[in-house]
Amino acid sequence: MTLSHQFRFAARAFKRDFKAGELRVLALALIIAVASVTAVGFFTDRIGRAMERQAADVLAADLLATSGLALPEAIAETAKENGLSIAEHTRFPSVVINQLDESQLVAVKAVTSGYPLRGALKLTTLDAPAEPAPLDTPAPGTVWIDTQLKNILALEQGDTLTLGAKDFNVTRLIQFEPDRGENVFEIAPRVMMNADDLQASELLGPGSRARFTLLMSGEVAQVDRMNDWLKENMASEVRVQSVRDGSPQLKRALDRAQQFLGLASVVTVLLAGAAIALAVRQFSLHQADASAVLRTLGATRGEVITWLALRLSMIVVVASVVGIIIGWFAQLILAQLLVTWFSMELPTPGVWPPIIGALTAFIAVAGFGLLPVLRAGRVAVMRVLQRDYTGLDTSVWVTTLIGMIATYVVVLMQSRDWMLSAIVVAGVVLMLGVFALFGRYIIKLVRSIAGARFRLSVAGLQRRAGSSVVQLAAFAMGIMALLLIAIVRVDVLEAWERDIPADAPNVFVVNIQPDQVEGFDQRLQSQDIDVAGIFPMVRARLVSHNGVSTLSENESTNNNERQQRRARREYNLTYSDEPPPAGEVVAGQWWATDGSAEPAWSIEEEWAGQRGYKVGDTLTFKIAGVEVTAPISNLRKVDWESFQVNFFVVASPATLAQMPATFVTSFKIDSDFSTTTSGWAREFPGIAALDIGAIMARVKTLMDRASLAVEYVFLFTVLAGICVLLAAVQSSQSERIRESALLRALGASHNQIKHAVVAEFAILGAIAGFLAAFFATVVAWALSRFVFELPFEINIWLWIIGVVGGAVGISIAGFLATRRVLTTPPVVALRNTA
Amino acid sequence: MTNSTQSTESEHSGPVLTGAGIEKSISGPSGLLTILHALDIEIQPGEATAIVGPSGSGKSTLLGILAGLDTPTNGSVHMLGQNLSELDEDERARLRAGKVGFVFQSFQLLPGLTAHENVMLPLELSNAPDASERAMHSLEQVGLADRSTHQPLQMSGGEQQRVAIARAFVANPVLLFADEPTGNLDSATGYKITDLMFSLREKLGSALVLVTHDDKLAARCDRRLLMGDGKLAAA
Repeated sequence: MTLSHQFRFAARAFKRDFKAGELRVLALALIIAVASVTAVGFFTDRIGRAMERQAADVLAADLLATSGLALPEAIAETAKENGLSIAEHTRFPSVVINQLDESQLVAVKAVTSGYPLRGALKLTTLDAPAEPAPLDTPAPGTVWIDTQLKNILALEQGDTLTLGAKDFNVTRLIQFEPDRGENVFEIAPRVMMNADDLQASELLGPGSRARFTLLMSGEVAQVDRMNDWLKENMASEVRVQSVRDGSPQLKRALDRAQQFLGLASVVTVLLAGAAIALAVRQFSLHQADASAVLRTLGATRGEVITWLALRLSMIVVVASVVGIIIGWFAQLILAQLLVTWFSMELPTPGVWPPIIGALTAFIAVAGFGLLPVLRAGRVAVMRVLQRDYTGLDTSVWVTTLIGMIATYVVVLMQSRDWMLSAIVVAGVVLMLGVFALFGRYIIKLVRSIAGARFRLSVAGLQRRAGSSVVQLAAFAMGIMALLLIAIVRVDVLEAWERDIPADAPNVFVVNIQPDQVEGFDQRLQSQDIDVAGIFPMVRARLVSHNGVSTLSENESTNNNERQQRRARREYNLTYSDEPPPAGEVVAGQWWATDGSAEPAWSIEEEWAGQRGYKVGDTLTFKIAGVEVTAPISNLRKVDWESFQVNFFVVASPATLAQMPATFVTSFKIDSDFSTTTSGWAREFPGIAALDIGAIMARVKTLMDRASLAVEYVFLFTVLAGICVLLAAVQSSQSERIRESALLRALGASHNQIKHAVVAEFAILGAIAGFLAAFFATVVAWALSRFVFELPFEINIWLWIIGVVGGAVGISIAGFLATRRVLTTPPVVALRNTA
Repeated sequence: MTNSTQSTESEHSGPVLTGAGIEKSISGPSGLLTILHALDIEIQPGEATAIVGPSGSGKSTLLGILAGLDTPTNGSVHMLGQNLSELDEDERARLRAGKVGFVFQSFQLLPGLTAHENVMLPLELSNAPDASERAMHSLEQVGLADRSTHQPLQMSGGEQQRVAIARAFVANPVLLFADEPTGNLDSATGYKITDLMFSLREKLGSALVLVTHDDKLAARCDRRLLMGDGKLAAA
């Protein structure tokens, strides 16, 4: 047969297969796999990029390069070469003087046009704080200020402020500054000016404490390229920050959202893969007879294999096209739903998702179908004369191996993580093995205890021991996925959302002087504001580790700029008898809480890890010219999502109590921030109250959106799970039709057979549900513990719904899928099996 | 199908099928079980041979070996001048394509294909021209032209067997194998099918190897061989 002949021949068979419903389950499984992979791909792509874009708001850019010294020209040049948009800002502390000669320490930010590259400022005029003002850059000769400075210096629209050697007009009130959250502890009120005024104002002399930042934004690939370049060439010159290493809260929220989405699509692909495997096997078994006939009539083995492979390829092509179209529309609808949630246009999806979707289908069918097709091609021709000739060499191991490789590849395409994919595949194989092993024993057990009433059903299970175990494993896998989605998802998402406690503080007050602590505490009490505590905060520079200067600890010791920068870096330390509320000691011991503790440091785990510090090492900090040395007595884990006041370094009181300190506190207010804090600045000069409610709200919405996205994505997983159940039920359909025909011919009533079928599926469903609940619990525990790092609770509903739902669901599905068993006249069924 | 085996038919004169010393043993639960004992058989062009015998006597096994569907443990089979034991499975398939027809007890029509498509199969497999027209013509000969678009499941057993006969004869086979062709049919239908098969065979001059336990059917053949205890004897 020529190839075109073979193609026509296969196409005709394919058309018939389709009409006859031979490939229905396979097509369905493939369509779901492709649609889900495509939709999840498109969706993750767009939402992921939108979420990153939102996170970028917090940096006001996609990428930042910051230094304590003027930035090398090469950075801006390279950024431009890479096609990135750029802007700059320079931050430094200074003092402003108003027309009444009152002065105030301020945090100046001199910006170039284009700032912010991501996110937007919210501006109003000082006389109409409710009406938004147009967005641009402060005009030369003007400054913009925040509410804090307006309150402290009682400023009005158009007032003059002296800053350095130049006078400026106050023209705008900054209601929101997207990247303010990046420096929550930048305590002084904000003054924003045009960078062109820097020179005239003579603000930046040699040795001034300025931070120079280049803001960059652009396409993901451009930003990644620039990020790599910076890390390679400028690591010692500048601090590089991208969306991913921005705020720790946002970073975790983003990471988790991506983990959830990735997991959802991996589970979907796995389930669809299982359905595909079952359906392809079924297809190949059905083709054994046809293959034998074709061989008898003169077809070669190669022609038969080509014929089968072409038919499978055709279904993959058709299913891929349909799946991609469905996937496209699904993500379109989802994106439409979410577009109102994201205050931005979603980025357009890329071309990879449909390609990966179609590839997934091809690989799954090739992986699971290759061997069955080869076997169908090798079927003993004598089968046409004597049915007991199977000629199928059933190498379970080779099938499993090829299937595992295919599964690994499709999971890898989804997760893009070699290790995770290996774990997932090993886990699934282990799980299926356990399902099969336990299933066999449980079926035996049920067989021994079943009463007369269920004898027919249990006999059915017994007759089909092999396929019963396959079905059981497939059912258990499907039910497990559904349980994980229905219950565990909710548990995990809730635990995640609980991560931001309802009483998380939304106001930070810093720079409280020691003599103001008592008065301020009373003031808070009089306003009915509860605080967890007012903590001392000591500014310090780290000078040595185990007696070795931190300046000489690193390799590039000759780098003066770097030494200067490191030496200049200041940390906020605190001291306390008690461990901070939001954290736990992970190494070493907390010191005595009765005030008798020797000098010691408690260091945040990650901070210590990055620098290679261990319990027992000594650290020396320089505080107001005095060097303080003490050993590290413990490492702490800090829950940054608690939004409580947290410190990288906590000292025992004996270490720092004598050092100059300011105090800091945080609390939650429900009333308006400006009203609540309006008199404070004048009553307690120097203190700064910061509204972080906006940042928290941002993290919270991000979480809400991510969970919503995850819920939609899981819809596909549910469909894939149902598909596995269908495929499993279908796999025994023809056998059941034959058996029931025989039983009916022998006199069994319609009802008897119906009951037997329903009871058999119910028993299978209950066993599968039990196994599924067990594994869902294990998986949920593992996910909570290792992936999402969230607390885990055993959910009893998992077991109840698993067993009862399994029995009811599978018996209904089984009955519906095998109703042909009852509607096929016995004579037809028996004639076909002759 | 273009290959060296194509030319054998024209070159070949003498018996279309020869079996010499055919032996078949299989390993059973109680050791090696010999089903066929050193059988010899020769089928001349156009000759109709019936192999009769009780169930389980090895008739179908012999038919399978003669048709090249299975291989003997010992002995050789020559089909159209080719020694089958020198050919692998694919080469045996190629040898059959378009030259050997089959009629089975269980019809063996492909359920997904229509009657017309089923009949076309042997022609397509041997790349024969005008496959569609010839298949229609063959269906007309068995009186089922009006059912050409029907699928096997939509037909009665007799109709299915007529389609199978149309398929068997569509490529003008030199050799036809029939395994209990009326076994699944009632006697009236069985007679009609037999008539049809024999009249087509006579028209085309195909040699026939017929396996049956039906003496009446066997009586219509040129000679009868009796199978018993794995051996053949003239009946």
